[in-house]
Amino acid sequence: MRTNTTETTPSELPATTMESFYFPSGEQSLFGWLHAPAGPQASVGVVICKPFGFEALCGHSSMRKFAEAAAGLGVPALRFDYLGTGDSPEIDPRADQVDRWTRDIVAAAAELRRRTGVERVCLVGIRLGALLAARAARDISGIAALFVIAPVVNGKRYLTELRTTRLAALMGMPPVAADNRFGGDVEALNPGLMEFTGYTFSADSIAALTPLKLSAADSPAGAEWFIVDRADLPVAKDFNESLVAAGVPSRCVALPGFVDMCLVSPQYAIVPMPMVEALREFLQGLVGGPQLAAGEAPRIPKSVIQGEGSAALSLPGDGPDSNLIERPVCFGTEAQLFGIVTEPAQGDSSRRAVVFPNTGTDFHMGASRMYVTLARTWARRGYYVLRMDFTGIGDSGGRPGRRDNDVFPAAALDEMRAGIKFMRDRYGIQELTLCGLCSGAYHSLRAAAAGLDVQRILMVNPQNYFWKDGAPLDEGMHVAEAVRNPGIYRQRVGSLQAWKRVFKGEVSLLRIARVYTVRSFLTLELALRDAARYLRIKLPQDLGWELEDIARRGIHIAFIFSTGELGIPLLKLQAGLSLKRLGERCPVHIIEGADHTFSRSGARSLMAKMLTQELMAGSSASGAGDTANRAAGGASGYQEFHLFSGVAHAESTSKNALRRTSSSEY
Amino acid sequence: MSVRVTVQSMFELVAKEQKRQLLPLTDELLLLNSGLDSLSLALIVARLEDSVGFDPFATIERFPVTFGDFVKLYEAHPG
Repeated sequence: MRTNTTETTPSELPATTMESFYFPSGEQSLFGWLHAPAGPQASVGVVICKPFGFEALCGHSSMRKFAEAAAGLGVPALRFDYLGTGDSPEIDPRADQVDRWTRDIVAAAAELRRRTGVERVCLVGIRLGALLAARAARDISGIAALFVIAPVVNGKRYLTELRTTRLAALMGMPPVAADNRFGGDVEALNPGLMEFTGYTFSADSIAALTPLKLSAADSPAGAEWFIVDRADLPVAKDFNESLVAAGVPSRCVALPGFVDMCLVSPQYAIVPMPMVEALREFLQGLVGGPQLAAGEAPRIPKSVIQGEGSAALSLPGDGPDSNLIERPVCFGTEAQLFGIVTEPAQGDSSRRAVVFPNTGTDFHMGASRMYVTLARTWARRGYYVLRMDFTGIGDSGGRPGRRDNDVFPAAALDEMRAGIKFMRDRYGIQELTLCGLCSGAYHSLRAAAAGLDVQRILMVNPQNYFWKDGAPLDEGMHVAEAVRNPGIYRQRVGSLQAWKRVFKGEVSLLRIARVYTVRSFLTLELALRDAARYLRIKLPQDLGWELEDIARRGIHIAFIFSTGELGIPLLKLQAGLSLKRLGERCPVHIIEGADHTFSRSGARSLMAKMLTQELMAGSSASGAGDTANRAAGGASGYQEFHLFSGVAHAESTSKNALRRTSSSEY
Repeated sequence: MSVRVTVQSMFELVAKEQKRQLLPLTDELLLLNSGLDSLSLALIVARLEDSVGFDPFATIERFPVTFGDFVKLYEAHPG
């Protein structure tokens, strides 16, 4: 697939192209994007070596911006997904990822050369990607430079940081190994493997990474270094000095922006323009281009999807001759939308599809890469699955006049419509499901409420059911406080300690008053809405009416929540009496021990089973003739999907890990 | 500056950076309910290592439950 780029601001910037494809790395194929200048091309190219795990998810838009900045200077840039990450195929959970990903960088450099003919390569490595780039550079001829950002200089220290994150994430949770009640916990299944906020390192990877350090002795001959250290936590000064002492040309600057690029919730991620500008200046020096005048803002072309090629990835199916196909697609008439479709084995004529909209501003792979896993799982059961990016998110283009990285883009409904139309037109889809986490659930609900042609909506952890365009993201927090906090305050009213804090001024009485005021309004609103519903009077923005209307049109609805989610009491408050009316037509599942994004594999696996069960509910896929579905259920066929569907069974099996409640009981 | 004040300042700084609403830092405050997530807490630990010179989390198996427990880990360290 080839895309053209357009400018974010200045119209005189030269257009560049952005093309997605798969390329070989050993016996596997990897997914990548090539950002190439439309005009004269430099003899140097860039390979972007991404960070690991959550940092790669959060930093996706920055990785793209680095590539766009390079291409805008005439320097072609390739960014790609290591094996087992992003849109690339899965990796053996026992594999040494450090070794594998190092070889992936070498393969990416070879692919860049093959496609563009550049003579020399500059590796741009971020965090772990910097350490891997330094290792890979030894095996790449013609390395011009290494430009590294917040590099991991010490593998052991990096792992300690990851372990701390993991320990903190496990606060209040049962030990991980004990969470394998449903068989999906990757740590229990793979001894020595560790999961860090939804992303794993195998035992061999940990063993390989522990002794690794950035070393001047490993620097490839003739290469120069540019090190962007973290301003908040500088760690690379000693390494830079060792390079200089060894006679290697190297500079080191500490710049702000790393935390906002890679370590915040993705909806708050900010592209670190000082780092982008540092890269531009460095590349200009490398290729001999003109320098920006002092104070002149960098001008970076931005990509917009234009066309589609023939890139495709073959993935193993359930048996011989049952391979899946995965391909990048672009669609939309007004907007330039990008997505990846996973197609079932050839010959499958079921014509069922699932569309995943973005979760927050996570790009189309989803938190903990869950959309990739679900897409491939469901394609093996005969579904066509599209994971798409809204404009301004992930790899889609932008919309003039709208900001990027918007959780609730105003055009989301139009873009959902475009995704649905694309799937129906391209694949002749007859039965279509929308499925999303958090804001993805919200967008699915809005699409169904607006009458888009869907047959099922599966919503996981929605945090709101209505949204006012342009409202600040923390508006939801005020509602959260109003829903959650009164109970906490009531518990504390008899606590001497709590009253001491009030008198010491450590507690904001104004905040408590605000919480109760909002709560009172919500309760009053609920009573009024229930009265109106009873009288069959339809009020605007009435969730209960909307759900009933959706169900009346024959659309299957299901909610899945983690325990303690704000969306649970909010659903009760905003849908009220209608939940009782809907009964089994609107099941609500609650999974205990799960966090908002299901960052633990055990809980994620259970959530996936629940979604699969709801996907099959009432579907042609659950019919007697569906052999794939029966096979997936094992000897008992479809019944496996009912394992978690009864309260009594859940209690006896899972120690309350899961509760399924019809909305009438709820 | 005492260890407690250093720790407290770091909590407040990271909460601000992460756009998170931090509850008042009392010894009884459950970290789970503090308003910070695991990434924020890990960032605090990494920066504290930079400023106090040690990382008490390198050897422990369970994360402290309350803010008071967290501070004690640093106060008790011989480092």
